[in-house]
Amino acid sequence: MDFDLTDDQATIRSAVAELAGKFDDEYWMSKDRDHAFPTEFYDALATGGWLGITSPEEYGGHGFGITEACLLIEEVARSGGGMNAASSIHLSIFGMHPVIKHGSAELKARTIPRIVDGSLHVCFGVTEPEAGLDTTRITTYAKREGDHYRVNGRKVWISKAQESEKILLLTRTQKLDEVAKKTDGMTLFLTDLDRAHVDIRPIPKMGRNAVSSNELFIDDLMVPVEDRVGEEGKGFTYILDGLNPERMLIAAEALGIGRVALDRAVRYGNDREVFGRPIGQNQGLQFPLADSLARLDGAELALRKATWLYDRGEPCGREANTAKYLCADAGFEAADRALQTHGGMGYSEEYNVARYFREARLLKIAPLSQEMVLNYLGSHVLGLPRSY
Amino acid sequence: MRWELSQEQSDFRDVLAGWLTDRCGAAEVRAWLDAGDPAAFEDRFLAEGWFGVGAPEDVGGQGGGLVETVLAAEELGRVTAPTAGWLGAMAALPGLLAVPEEAKALLADGVVTVLGVPADAVPGAAPAVAADGGAVTGVIAGVLGADRARRLLVPVAGGSLVLVEADAAGVEVRPRVLTDRSRSVADVVLDGARGRSVPGDAAVALEAGALRAAVLVAADALGAAERMLDAAVSHAGQRRQFGVPIGSFQAVKHAAAEMLVTVESARSIVYLAAASLEAGHPDASAHVAAAKAQVTAGASRAADTALTLHGAIGYTWEHDLQLSYKRAKLDEHLFGAPAAWNERLAASLDLVP
Repeated sequence: MDFDLTDDQATIRSAVAELAGKFDDEYWMSKDRDHAFPTEFYDALATGGWLGITSPEEYGGHGFGITEACLLIEEVARSGGGMNAASSIHLSIFGMHPVIKHGSAELKARTIPRIVDGSLHVCFGVTEPEAGLDTTRITTYAKREGDHYRVNGRKVWISKAQESEKILLLTRTQKLDEVAKKTDGMTLFLTDLDRAHVDIRPIPKMGRNAVSSNELFIDDLMVPVEDRVGEEGKGFTYILDGLNPERMLIAAEALGIGRVALDRAVRYGNDREVFGRPIGQNQGLQFPLADSLARLDGAELALRKATWLYDRGEPCGREANTAKYLCADAGFEAADRALQTHGGMGYSEEYNVARYFREARLLKIAPLSQEMVLNYLGSHVLGLPRSY
Repeated sequence: MRWELSQEQSDFRDVLAGWLTDRCGAAEVRAWLDAGDPAAFEDRFLAEGWFGVGAPEDVGGQGGGLVETVLAAEELGRVTAPTAGWLGAMAALPGLLAVPEEAKALLADGVVTVLGVPADAVPGAAPAVAADGGAVTGVIAGVLGADRARRLLVPVAGGSLVLVEADAAGVEVRPRVLTDRSRSVADVVLDGARGRSVPGDAAVALEAGALRAAVLVAADALGAAERMLDAAVSHAGQRRQFGVPIGSFQAVKHAAAEMLVTVESARSIVYLAAASLEAGHPDASAHVAAAKAQVTAGASRAADTALTLHGAIGYTWEHDLQLSYKRAKLDEHLFGAPAAWNERLAASLDLVP
């Protein structure tokens, strides 16, 4: 066993921390308050070459694995940028994975280099109002017409759709009742988000307001055949490949928020004096923070193991789900305790922990709820009957 | 709403508490448990008229109502008195009341009669005993107080109740050992045993017995929890570490405060449930279920906290905490674990089955 980071990994970590650290609390506070995309931050990461961290070198990327991607996004979240920062780049970091693995050379050549240089913003279009996590029940339909597909349907909770030029769009090309296996008949596209045929409506929400979450109404969107990723009918399996890495990235984001929240709580606990001494001297405040440190450290180990397995090409469903579960819990609990440590000031925007709290809460829901993680572990790992 | 004990109820509790202090101290309890024979306590409890507290006077009870019975259960739980026979009898009482002379035998003559159901489940499940003519056959696992009883009120398949003498032919009572030695259970093996049929609706009697038993066990847990709180606070004030009483540490104070919250909320639920059941309130069954589930689970957690606050001394045989700790742990599961009673509450909500 070797718990050390490689030289590259250590460099990535410190370089990203330094770069992200240039964007201060005031920056993120105002972006969140004004519901404004953090363009300056995104551009800085693009200019630094960070968006292509996992993209293949032939397309201008660095070809690193999910371990490095997680270290990057954890530092981004930990810088104080939280989920606003992480979500602005999340899809560029690993979301193009289905395209890289299954897309045509032509499709890759005209999209991946633009992901790397930052000029192409993409969103991920899977979930639908009537399907939720029951992905095979999606009804957005792509009908082949000559060298195009005509797409109609609805998508919901599409992060960053407002700011995106393209969408990685999962559709059905055969209806659920026309296929032998329910996972068949789904087709994936990487195509332009043509505003003339897609109505994008932001969903008012609790936090992470610098990056929009949207409902999409797709009305006769014409998608060229060249924009199809891989074969028709295989879209579900392509998406499946990316689920574990996504859970790990989310886990890393939760970890980063938990760390920054804990840092702020410790600072406040040392600085703030009540009854003639620092409030951090109270066991009622000190113990929860120490407990959070232990839980974050434990969750981090689970995440490191998951990414290590994935990068070695080994099965990692158990570890990826466990990492997501533990990191989301530890991250939220740390943010909650940081808020409590700040007392009334925690509830104000001024100390930023309220923002971390709102964002950390999201990670117990997205990209799948903690309960669905337990479903996975219960049935797929423990071998208990499927409960849903 | 204003709700408090009446002067009479309050006086009753003080008198019983005083009686127990004199006759049921930790030294006496330990002696009975070590000997495996609580008869000395049981006999005095009967002889001095405590057994029928809350039961109707016309069948030999002491009068009052379920609130009085609950107050007794709380005080008995507090001193970890050996009450398996009494509690088993209180669960059987609703069934026995259908035949006044049988109820009188229990309450006036001290013929201890317990309900013949497994102690680890909510009473009312399909009986494992079948009747063939006048003879009953079957095995009932882990009956509370069966080893302390002279009669057993046994639910029989088909929905009737049969009263069986514990020393009759075809009846074998096999005691089992519990971690909590202040109560006892025994397997009852019936092999063609002859009994007397008890009239009335068995399902109604069992449900009434279940609710009664549940609220009494909750009260028992409340008493045990409060005693553990008192012991923990006392220990934290005396035990010194790093030059100060450990009670000066915030983490200890907060843990004790959480126990106090548990005890106070438990008292509110238990007394409400008792009054509600006594008055036949339409929601009585939900009140009792909440009391059994919440109070016994809370007391079980409080037991763990008390053990933490005592440190290693609380883990020793010499320290009396073990008596209350085990009491609370058994109360959590006696006549149905919190999950079983929560299931009842869930069933009463408008949820998809």
